[in-house]
Formats: sequence, C-alpha cells, structure tokens
Amino acid sequence: MLSWSSTKSGAPANIGAIADDEVDAGLPHGAELVAFTDAAAGVDEGALAAARAALVACAGEDFMIDAAAVVANFEMMTRVADGSGARFPEQGADHRAAIADKLHINDFTSAH
Amino acid sequence: MRDDLAEAHRRSLAHVASPGARLTAARRVQIAEVAREAYLAVEPSPPWVRPFDDLALDVAYRLARHAGTITEQWYEQIIGEGLHPLEFVEILGVVVATVPPIAFARGAGLPLPVLPAPLAGEPSGREADELAPAKLNWVPVAAPADQVASVVQALTALPDEWDNMWRLAEAQYMSDRQMDDPLWNRGTLSRPQMELVAGRLSLIRECFF
Repeated sequence: MLSWSSTKSGAPANIGAIADDEVDAGLPHGAELVAFTDAAAGVDEGALAAARAALVACAGEDFMIDAAAVVANFEMMTRVADGSGARFPEQGADHRAAIADKLHINDFTSAH
Repeated sequence: MRDDLAEAHRRSLAHVASPGARLTAARRVQIAEVAREAYLAVEPSPPWVRPFDDLALDVAYRLARHAGTITEQWYEQIIGEGLHPLEFVEILGVVVATVPPIAFARGAGLPLPVLPAPLAGEPSGREADELAPAKLNWVPVAAPADQVASVVQALTALPDEWDNMWRLAEAQYMSDRQMDDPLWNRGTLSRPQMELVAGRLSLIRECFF
C-alpha cells in the first residue's frame, strides 16, 4: 500500500524504510513517524513521550493524533489477520513474494 | 482530538460491555480486562504460557499480546479443547474492540480509558444467517466464503463484531471506499505517511499479512 499510494501520488517512497532504520522512506517526517510507531509499539514510556514530542514539534498536534490513530488501527488489523488465520489468494503471489523478500518477513510465523 | 474518533472508541468499549452473540457482557468485560493487561504488560508471559487456566481468557491474552505467534495448529488445539469456533471469533472481536482505544490513548499521551461496567442481559445469538468454512481464514465466516479479502471476511460470522471493527477502522484509518483512493487523507498524514506507519507497526507485530 505504501508503494502503490506513493507512486500514485507522484513521489514513490522507498518501502525498504519499513524494515530498515538506515533507509529514508523519502516522505516528509518519515523518520519521526517511524520513531513514533516504534515507541508506541514498545513499552518504554519515556521513549514514547520523546517520540511523541518530536512528532508534534515537526508536524503538529493534529498530525500526531492521526498518527496515533493509525497505530491503533493496525494494532487492531494485525490481530484480526493473525487471529483469524488470514491468507492471501493465489492471485498476486509473485508481487507479494518480491515485497516479502525486500522486507525480510518470510520467517514470520504468520507467513506459513 | 477528532469527535468521530472519540465516538468510535467510546462506542467500541460500550460494545465490549454489552451482551455478545454467545457471551454475556460480564464475560466480555472479563476478556477485555485480560486484553488490556496483556497489551500493557511490560514483562508479558511468554506465548506458550496460559496464565489464567481458563481457555477463553488464555486465548484473549495470546491474541492481545502474541498474535503474531499464532498458528493454525494452535487454533485447532484450542477448538479441540472445547472452545466453539464462534466463541473464538467473539473473543477475537472483544480483543480488537478493546486494544485500539487503549493503544490510541497511550500513543497520544491521553488518559487510558476505563472499561464500562457490563450491561445485564443474555447473549443475543446474533450470528450470520449461514456460515461457511473459508480457504482464506481458519475461522468460519459468513457464506459465501472467500468472495472478499480475508481480513474483511474474518469477523463476518458475528455481524456485531464486524460492524464495530469497521466503525473503528473508518475513524482511525479510513473507510473501505476511501481505501481505493491513493490520495485520500484528512489533511494531516498523507496516504503514504499512513501506510508507512501501518507497514512499520505490522512489521513490529510480525504480521505477514
């Protein structure tokens, strides 16, 4: 979805940034969004407060609120997918395999 | 904070505290309390530990904290131990109704929401008119199966859980109609910025899907 939406918007993002901290996604506030997501998914309240403050400082309060909402949404969707045994249809398997290789996610339990 | 987001989270927790298709409201709130504890635990139990010696509560803990470790074999084992597949779906529905308001509040630096007191009443029995085994999910779904994406059909066996999930998704992310538009946004995060957060969170949770 990142590849598709960014390409359609005219500025293709580097999806490698999802998995590699050294890669720049090429999106405004990309590094701050990744740091905020990491902190929100972790258990260190101090790190979360710092990441939240950094995101607000660069993009504003409403932006941070909507980023937190997206985090919440995917805390939901990942559990729906993994809890229900969600699988992909055969169609599009080659494309997904290429992305999975790039993100190094083939060893996830949910990949099998 | 957007009013629609606050309302979706309020309704989600009220949904948790209402009688479900097969479970009483009191049991659903008990499951939600476990989900909350599991989600917020600094040192959670390992995935293979069953902390409660209660099948439904142990399933809730695993779903809330270790969903990325779940296998079809584990699901079949749980069903084999006596949990009805639709009870499993309802527990999943309660977990995914509980975690998002908590995750959002914690992320945004707001007070964590409190679970409402359970409402009185018997389970509604409201289930899909016809169920079908799915190829794209291991849980049963509303017939006909596999006509839509697996995450879309995942909770269709229990319409109230499905409705709540998509009400949350619309407020937190976007509606299914808006998903088709790669440029749609609320004027804050662009669509690619939303997808960067979505992709990163899914990676951290080890969700292949």
